[in-house]
Amino acid sequence: MDESSLIQRAINGDGTAWGPLVRAHQEAVFRLSYLLLGDPDDAEDVAQETFLRAWKHLKRFDTTRQLRPWLLRIASNLASNKRRSAGRYISALTRAFRNVPPPPNLEDKSLQRMQANELWQAVQLLNTTDQQIVYLRYFLELSVAETAEVLHVAEGTIKSRLSRALDKLRKIIQRDFSALIEGRET
Amino acid sequence: MMNIEFENQLRRIANGMEYPRTPDIVGSVATRLRIPTRSRSILKRWVWSLTIVLFLCSSLMFVPNVRAAIIEFIQIGIVRIFPQPAEPTVEPITTATPETTILATATSGESLQLLIPFLDQIAGETKLASAKELVPYQIMLPSYPGVLGQPQHVYVQDTEGAMTILVWTDPKQPERVTMSLHFIPVGHWAISKFAPVVTQETEVNDQQAVWAVGPYPLFMKDGQLRIERLINGHVLIWADGGLTYRLETDLPLEEAVKSAESLEPIP
Repeated sequence: MDESSLIQRAINGDGTAWGPLVRAHQEAVFRLSYLLLGDPDDAEDVAQETFLRAWKHLKRFDTTRQLRPWLLRIASNLASNKRRSAGRYISALTRAFRNVPPPPNLEDKSLQRMQANELWQAVQLLNTTDQQIVYLRYFLELSVAETAEVLHVAEGTIKSRLSRALDKLRKIIQRDFSALIEGRET
Repeated sequence: MMNIEFENQLRRIANGMEYPRTPDIVGSVATRLRIPTRSRSILKRWVWSLTIVLFLCSSLMFVPNVRAAIIEFIQIGIVRIFPQPAEPTVEPITTATPETTILATATSGESLQLLIPFLDQIAGETKLASAKELVPYQIMLPSYPGVLGQPQHVYVQDTEGAMTILVWTDPKQPERVTMSLHFIPVGHWAISKFAPVVTQETEVNDQQAVWAVGPYPLFMKDGQLRIERLINGHVLIWADGGLTYRLETDLPLEEAVKSAESLEPIP
């Protein structure tokens, strides 16, 4: 069954149609949340909440549009709120006292992963709006149109914001992560 | 480099990003969608419990000693510090000046060695010149002690406002931090300093300041937020011009105050 039929069934209250839609988009939603929050537990919370909110407000969804940008917009807003919340501070404190070791994947020093991790660190030095745009375009590989839908702005605005974000990111990389551009291309 | 080439490079590098395994959200979402009535009853129970707790807390506020213990704290800039009661094993601080007031002293039993993080794990490392451009306030350096010079490590972290951390290390032991200085902007979410063990009131540039021991939240490169101390020493906290400063050092109090009062803009 195609996505629009599943959405229509879900809008009509068919909960069984929501499962396949969650499955289809959970990875993108979880990954964006993870990129913005940097913590898998927080990202999972945001991903769950995203699909619950989307279900609750499904009747407001414009069925002529794609579902993924709408879900990513909800996730992005929830992640931004979570970044500010005291709850995150408290959960961080709890984790600190549980003495949770860093995720094992960070021990992996393969060149590609190291580069991606460095790029992630560089992006984290941008402001939140610029981070969102970079994650959507290059990490999740959304088109300009999809990115515009997620951020709820015109495509032209995305292009100009993206250009500014890239300028800032290039400067950060040249200054602090120059190896990303210089020596590792071969 | 042209934007298109740069974009392609970003896309290629980002493609190598390793994410944690995506959890099974389908199951948990379905479960949460199926139990709205139970959620409401849980919520109702929570509201009742909270009401009872609030009532008990309000009652306790009528007991003078309890009220004093609850509401007395020191607010320095955005940092709120709750002095700890003195322990039986208290030792007087020999470095206190006559003007200062000892609020409480105690020793923590934890292994300080474990609290010293690896500097290369802290997120947001940058250069001093870059940090100057990234933050909206003036970064200053202490001119005392004279041998200090420029920091060996500089970090800028996004904490709803760019927090700058300068770190000086021992030239003979680069792993050993001799001093760190936080510039914490207004809006930073860590409004409460976490459990300082020793607090002592003092002054920096005639403004209220505290001398304490305790860790502070730092973002690490792996995205985790850890509560860390960089130095097995004290921390001097004061506020000035909308910024809160946190100077961590193993110097005695008088030296730390002298250092705090010697801050000068970077030339």
